[in-house]
Amino acid sequence: MIRDVDVAVIGGGPAGLAAALGARRAGARVLLLERDDRLGGILNQCIHDGFGLVLYNESISGPEYAERLAEDAVREGIVVETGAMVLDLAAGRTMRVNSRGGYGLVRAKAVVLAMGCRERTRDMIEIPGDRPAGVWTAGTAQNLVNLRNLRIGNEIVILGSGDIGLIMARRLTFEGLRVKGVFEILPWAGGLERNIRQCLFDFSIPLELSTTVIDIRGRERVSSVVVARVDDRLKPLAGTEREIACDTLLLSVGLIPENELSRRAGVVLSPATGGAVVDEMFMTTVPGIFSCGNVLQIHDVADGASLEGFEAGKNAARFARGAVAAREAPAGIAAGAGIKYVLPQIVRRGTAGAGLHFRVAEPRRNVWIEVCGRSSGTTLFRRKYPRLLPSELQRIMVKTAIEEDLEVSAHD
Amino acid sequence: MIDRLTCLLCPLGCELEVETAGGRLEVRGHQCDKGLDFASEEVLRPKRNLAASIPVAGTDGRTTAVRLSGRVPREMIFPVLAEIAKLRPAIPVRRGDVLIRDVLGTGVDVIATRTVV
Repeated sequence: MIRDVDVAVIGGGPAGLAAALGARRAGARVLLLERDDRLGGILNQCIHDGFGLVLYNESISGPEYAERLAEDAVREGIVVETGAMVLDLAAGRTMRVNSRGGYGLVRAKAVVLAMGCRERTRDMIEIPGDRPAGVWTAGTAQNLVNLRNLRIGNEIVILGSGDIGLIMARRLTFEGLRVKGVFEILPWAGGLERNIRQCLFDFSIPLELSTTVIDIRGRERVSSVVVARVDDRLKPLAGTEREIACDTLLLSVGLIPENELSRRAGVVLSPATGGAVVDEMFMTTVPGIFSCGNVLQIHDVADGASLEGFEAGKNAARFARGAVAAREAPAGIAAGAGIKYVLPQIVRRGTAGAGLHFRVAEPRRNVWIEVCGRSSGTTLFRRKYPRLLPSELQRIMVKTAIEEDLEVSAHD
Repeated sequence: MIDRLTCLLCPLGCELEVETAGGRLEVRGHQCDKGLDFASEEVLRPKRNLAASIPVAGTDGRTTAVRLSGRVPREMIFPVLAEIAKLRPAIPVRRGDVLIRDVLGTGVDVIATRTVV
């Protein structure tokens, strides 16, 4: 049996829920497919407040944010299927789906990818040593503590200063566990400043920069880790090793967009973001397939993923009713000096008011951000920032119509 | 003592330096009056929200989550957590249910943030 819908959204987290709503409000028949038993994605385990500042103008927790969006989705007539896993996606926008009702096919006029991301693991960063129990990614620990009510250990060391690790340092302190320190290989912190202050500083948890874990020790269970300072090429410095007794190591060392399905569909990915190459409508290189949220680029706040979702969903609905013209020879937008990436990477010529996301490659002070035409040399945008951090996703708007390839760069 | 903090009130993110000496407070680096208030509150009487998860009675180990309806003085974090740890709400729990009203006289409530039915 083949089911036909206007817009299929894959993933029911902050981006997917918003995409489904965006498409529905633009008049499409929408099917939202979620692999888990419930909607909300990562929001369900993010019980701290700070969500909703943009969408609802108040600071609420992840579960509340998820429930509000999910209630809107049901009330507004979106067909929601939880426990439904998309096994394959073809460029023609046909999906093989394993759901509660069994195996079936879904054919959509437009698809929105909103599968989110996964955490980097011990294997990916190649920490040598024993293979004992007690090594978790921070998000797994968050799931075990907040959703399953489990105690994960007694003495904790955290590698990486990503936001989830910082949030977990506070959460575990609340549960009576002892967090002995957070270690970050880079000379700057990965997480947001308010989290460093409110999750570490408040509880006198040390943060050591330019320091990493070089060995994990323990037979059945972690008994200690060895940390060492690193040089400016991130290599451990001999003589700086220090052994720290602990029974648990949490890893908060980065997130990777989960793009297996995108690849199956032939979507071109960007090495800089790990997500799809998209245009100003969040459409990928495959016509009718859109991408938003953490599967597109890692966001610092859920509201940002949702805003992207609303936009992608609305555009998917327009595509589904044939209101989007084919994209011919778009202009490219490149990341120049000092810029880690820019998104979207391509823009239809003639687009005015394009919003561009970017991250700087390293912390900068009193820095100019410039958007220039690559052939004409014209400056389309220029603004001075007192300070920019790689941990903060920035958004600027290019008001004038884009007619040529652009480059975004940072200058002192 | 000098405390360095970033103002979180707007995207400018002014880097503030707050010097406390002899009961006097001197703030540097702010570009507006709000930054002054932010710095003095953060250094003299910081306030925080907090969140925890608690098991729901009558389920096979499902949890609800709680937060506070507003911020409390930072030194109240652990006393409030001790009150939250005593909670064993029974199913059904609905988002927004007040589980402790005016916890420890702080004027804020402990509210459920996850519906469990």
